[in-house]
Amino acid sequence: MGTFDVGGSQMDVSWFLLLAAALFTLGGIGVLVRRNPLIILISIELMLNAVNLTLVAFSRQLENLEGQLFALMTMTVAAAEAVVGLAILVDIFRVRDLEDIDDLSELKG
Amino acid sequence: MAIAVFIVFGLLALAGGVGVISFHQPIRSVLSLVLVMLSLSVLFLLLSAQFVFVVQIIVYAGAVMVLFLFVITLLGPARESGRGRLRFQAGLSGLFVLAFIGLLYAMLQGVQYRTPDHTDLNVFGTVQSIAVGLFTTYLYPFELTSVLLLVAAIGAIYLSRRDEG
Repeated sequence: MGTFDVGGSQMDVSWFLLLAAALFTLGGIGVLVRRNPLIILISIELMLNAVNLTLVAFSRQLENLEGQLFALMTMTVAAAEAVVGLAILVDIFRVRDLEDIDDLSELKG
Repeated sequence: MAIAVFIVFGLLALAGGVGVISFHQPIRSVLSLVLVMLSLSVLFLLLSAQFVFVVQIIVYAGAVMVLFLFVITLLGPARESGRGRLRFQAGLSGLFVLAFIGLLYAMLQGVQYRTPDHTDLNVFGTVQSIAVGLFTTYLYPFELTSVLLLVAAIGAIYLSRRDEG
């Protein structure tokens, strides 16, 4: 059903979707399990990339360019997120030596 | 041929993804993420998204990853503490995540896709066709992303300047 032709061989869009789901899940594990704030940011980038793969795969299957345009927008948002997140991280590290994201829990009641 | 390329680079991307979350030194995680990005860019090429392929390599594997590497250089080789306040957290999140991927897999079964639009695949995903989309129908969101980048740049400068200013 969701197949398309790539260089003479039929590919199914669901393969790409499953790969993207696996990568997104790996990123989710990274965000939930790892304690280093830098690795959490890297995992978020991994999740954003997985979503990009989904968008581009659907764009190809539906032969509609809007998915690719949206993927470009996602890259912009990811770049902005990385810049601001890393700036906040550097600012925090300047104040104290942080080795666990749970050390930043002063706001809790 | 295309299927072999998909299998090889899909497995490489998965290996990189596992590396991102399992290495203890941040530098190795970043290099694993570069592996993921490069593998995904090959998959983008397979999906005839040439412009997204180039942008992925230049912006992601180039700029964003270099930014991460610079921050690691700045912060030094910070190691993760072994202790955790919530020891059951890891197992619980593994369970949650397994349920999540099961849900995603189940949603793919028997899904009805819309019929394709039948555009000309010879120009699909080229710089020209992307530009036509960006500068006509999606001009407004495209301009908004430039405002977003400006805000991010100002925010980063504000956050990282020294206090004497």
